[in-house]
Amino acid sequence: MKARHPLSRAIVYILLLGGSFLFLFPLFWMISTSLKPVEETMALPPRWIPSSWQPDNYWKAVTHGSEILGYTPFLEYGKNTVLLCVLVVVGALISNSLIAYGFARLRWPGRDVLFGVTLATMMIPFPILMVPMFSLFRHLGWIGTFRPLWIPAWFGSAFNIFLLRQFFLTIPRELSDAAVVDGCSEFQVFRHIIVPLSKPALAVVALFQFLFTWNDFLGPLIYLTDQRMFTLSLGLQFYQSQHGGTEWHLLMAAATIIVLPVIILFFFTQRTFIQGVAVTGIKG
Amino acid sequence: MKGLSRREMWAGLAFVSPWIVGLGVFLLYPILASLYYSFCDYSVFREARPIGAANYVDLASDKLFWKSLLNTLYFAALSVPLGLILALALALLLNSGVRGLTIYRTIFFLPALVPMVALAVLWLWIFNGEYGVLNSALSSLGVPAPGWLTDPAWSKPALVLLSMWGVGYAMVIFLAGLQDVPVHLYEAADLDGASWLHKIRHVTLPMVSPVILFNGIMGIIGSLQYFAIPYIMTPNGQPARSAYFYAMYLYDNAFLYLKMGYASAMAWILFLIILCLTLLSLRLASRYVHYEGG
Amino acid sequence: MLSRLVKALALVTLVALLYVGFTRESRPATTDGRVHITYWEKWTGFEGEAMHAVVDEFNRSQDRVYVEVLAISQVNQKTLLAAAGGVPPDVAGLWADNISAYADKQALLPLDDYLRQAGLTRDHYIPCYWDICEYEGHMYALPSAPHSLAIHWNKAMFREAGLDPERPPRTLEELGHYTELLTRRDESGRLVQMGFMPSYPGWWNWAWGYYFGGTLWDGRDTITADSPENIRAYEWVQSYSKKYGATDLQLFQSGFANWSSPQDPFLSGRVAMVLQGVWLGNYIDKYSPGMEWGAAPWPYPADHPEFADVTSVASDILCIPAGAKHPDEAFEFIAFVNSQKGMELLNLGQRKHSPLAEVSDEFIAAHPNPYIQVFIDVAKQGRTFSNPKLPIWSEYGNEMNAAFDSIWLQQTTPEEALSSVTARMQGRLDRALLERSRREGSL
Repeated sequence: MKARHPLSRAIVYILLLGGSFLFLFPLFWMISTSLKPVEETMALPPRWIPSSWQPDNYWKAVTHGSEILGYTPFLEYGKNTVLLCVLVVVGALISNSLIAYGFARLRWPGRDVLFGVTLATMMIPFPILMVPMFSLFRHLGWIGTFRPLWIPAWFGSAFNIFLLRQFFLTIPRELSDAAVVDGCSEFQVFRHIIVPLSKPALAVVALFQFLFTWNDFLGPLIYLTDQRMFTLSLGLQFYQSQHGGTEWHLLMAAATIIVLPVIILFFFTQRTFIQGVAVTGIKG
Repeated sequence: MKGLSRREMWAGLAFVSPWIVGLGVFLLYPILASLYYSFCDYSVFREARPIGAANYVDLASDKLFWKSLLNTLYFAALSVPLGLILALALALLLNSGVRGLTIYRTIFFLPALVPMVALAVLWLWIFNGEYGVLNSALSSLGVPAPGWLTDPAWSKPALVLLSMWGVGYAMVIFLAGLQDVPVHLYEAADLDGASWLHKIRHVTLPMVSPVILFNGIMGIIGSLQYFAIPYIMTPNGQPARSAYFYAMYLYDNAFLYLKMGYASAMAWILFLIILCLTLLSLRLASRYVHYEGG
Repeated sequence: MLSRLVKALALVTLVALLYVGFTRESRPATTDGRVHITYWEKWTGFEGEAMHAVVDEFNRSQDRVYVEVLAISQVNQKTLLAAAGGVPPDVAGLWADNISAYADKQALLPLDDYLRQAGLTRDHYIPCYWDICEYEGHMYALPSAPHSLAIHWNKAMFREAGLDPERPPRTLEELGHYTELLTRRDESGRLVQMGFMPSYPGWWNWAWGYYFGGTLWDGRDTITADSPENIRAYEWVQSYSKKYGATDLQLFQSGFANWSSPQDPFLSGRVAMVLQGVWLGNYIDKYSPGMEWGAAPWPYPADHPEFADVTSVASDILCIPAGAKHPDEAFEFIAFVNSQKGMELLNLGQRKHSPLAEVSDEFIAAHPNPYIQVFIDVAKQGRTFSNPKLPIWSEYGNEMNAAFDSIWLQQTTPEEALSSVTARMQGRLDRALLERSRREGSL
């Protein structure tokens, strides 16, 4: 529905600009605080722009308080998080695309029932799984390791299976039928026809899975015990609980470090991203 | 043909096999185990011991259980509808043929990308009673500044306010829905001389009602499991447990007090509540939601 | 085809590498033939350094056991979770008030046999510090850095308010009177300075009843949070927020920073008197050097002089979580810390007092805290209390904190808040005792 009348257009732009200000301000404030000298964080009234830029706040934040034991190894946390994200994304791409192919393109008894069960499990809130998963991983000896955080991703997840299955269904059957006639195995059809055609959907899965792992707090909180193995999210919470209330400039620098990669990733993948979000809403 | 379909069956099972394992090990087993534990005294260190429905009976008279549930419902009842309205309003603005659509869309979407822990830490700073920028702004406008996270009356509204900052996902979904509304419907309404409000009421809302339903249900499910942000911003639900939410109490029971049976019972009650609210929404939806083509 | 193969191989290698890189235990190799044990501790900064010195000393003193110490935040929760997950450290540095709840869950190893073998008995300790490590007839820990509490006051602020800087308040009535004199507001009416406020630092909110002769349970099976003594105590707490305004105090308090920083309200001279532990002296030296201060026993209600010198005692402790891989070696280390040498090294470094009955003269002479004797005396004199040894103490403590909040913020009367605590916790305790008796009956 278009706004045509000049007055209504003016109102629309005023609202958009005002809204943009409100939505951007917290991010601006985070970055501004992260570059301030410590006294200025407590200045009243607040200073919008730092009077002297302190980029080494970032360095201080990641190597903070290297005085014995008081150290928050953010670089280590970053490495842990990136590795975890890679493992999860690779696992999710491989497993979910295979599984979705099995659901979308092959006929076998019990398929639709199993698919129905799969969809129903999306309703299950995580707290139901939390306690039994903990005791399961305890029996496997996985508590205190990264395994609980990435191995399950290699066995598929209902939401991704659903997303990819819907996409695979839209690929014309004739393409794969022709390949089968040429003597291709199912795996070859999957690998050489379906996967190349499904890059946008796979990109969506990869993005969401990456974001989920990057942001996840409850999983690491429950399963990771050794402070050196924390992820960035858990590390930031730990840092906040240790130094909160005083070193806001360093805290904001640490927060910026966690936010920035996500935002950069978003700018590079904006189209896929927005489409992915929109598709999940409409198909759901 | 018989041979082919058998081959297809085996291929199908082979493709799906990771999920059969995953579904069994990481979903079905935990669900059944959780149901069993909810009828047990279970602390991990000792074997689970069945105690009948005692956990559920205790929950019924546990004031903190009710308090955390009410806090959560209060939060959901405010944040979900307000979030829907804001997301829809932003989507409508974006869909009114403005120039620079992608820029504005990016701006409104960005906060939704901020990882929850970073978001919590950032808003702790913004809400800070003494040096917080929000209160400086309010007092320079002459508005009395509340102690956002220190006053029991304001802690939940503060959390609702910050949840408004993350409506980006819902907004993008709404926008996609709005873009699908056929232009000819608006043109027809224009011919009838319909006002803006009239068009919203009779064209836009019915056409995007399935999206409202979807976003609403996702919002309900998410807000009933609200955890990371209050866990960081209002630890232990301070002040005076005014911001102590259901998932926090559940987590505390499970991993702080190691009352895993009790926590499992809470998890099942949560599941039933989610199920009921979802069914209720669908029920309401059958009356109000408009699906194209029947 | 070849390039595809290469790609596939590369992917597999990448995943394998990641896997290996990930599962690599970060524990140092034990090529030296020593048993390596892990020790989780909460301390950072100079407190961590003091413990490091003791650990180094232990590692040097023999060549069979090597202790690796790791600083862990929220160490009690992390240890409980790790023990529940089957991967605990060998030694954990927790707090004494974790013992009852954790021992009841069988999360801690009883140390009785080890103690017998090592010949360590209650006689070696200031009795209260031995007693807080006991639960249901078994010892589950030994103290490391103990503490009693005392009122600390800022002498310069006393002088400024026209008070005798050498005379701390002796009764609670005096404390109230001093607070009036020491409280300031700015021209807009905002509080800028407080004499004393019961909500700061807020670590012993459950304990106020004990200073009025109350207790939180009867020692057996009854919760007594709503006893008249407790109600009186929390009425006293509420009298402060009534007098100075709950909203004003909240606003004042919302600007408080982390206590171990120069912006801490006592260290920055915004609060003149505070009930704090023996460690505060160090933080004064570190963040507010040159502050003139004193420490003395906490004041008592004027009508009950028999409650003079009542103090809360607690301690950092060393324990062995259930499922530890090397309990024998772990105890060897704990026993080393509990030797007179170990204790004095640790507690001189941390500037606390030793929990042992016997203390060398050099320890007292060298001690940088001029008031150290105050803390030792109140701990020894015997009017000490510590948290109730209940299986439900973690929950009970949180419940008391929440009750304190609502009393302090004037949302409820103390009587209402405390009777609701009593009702809820009595139900909890009944359930815990019932399950315990069923467990024991079924064995």
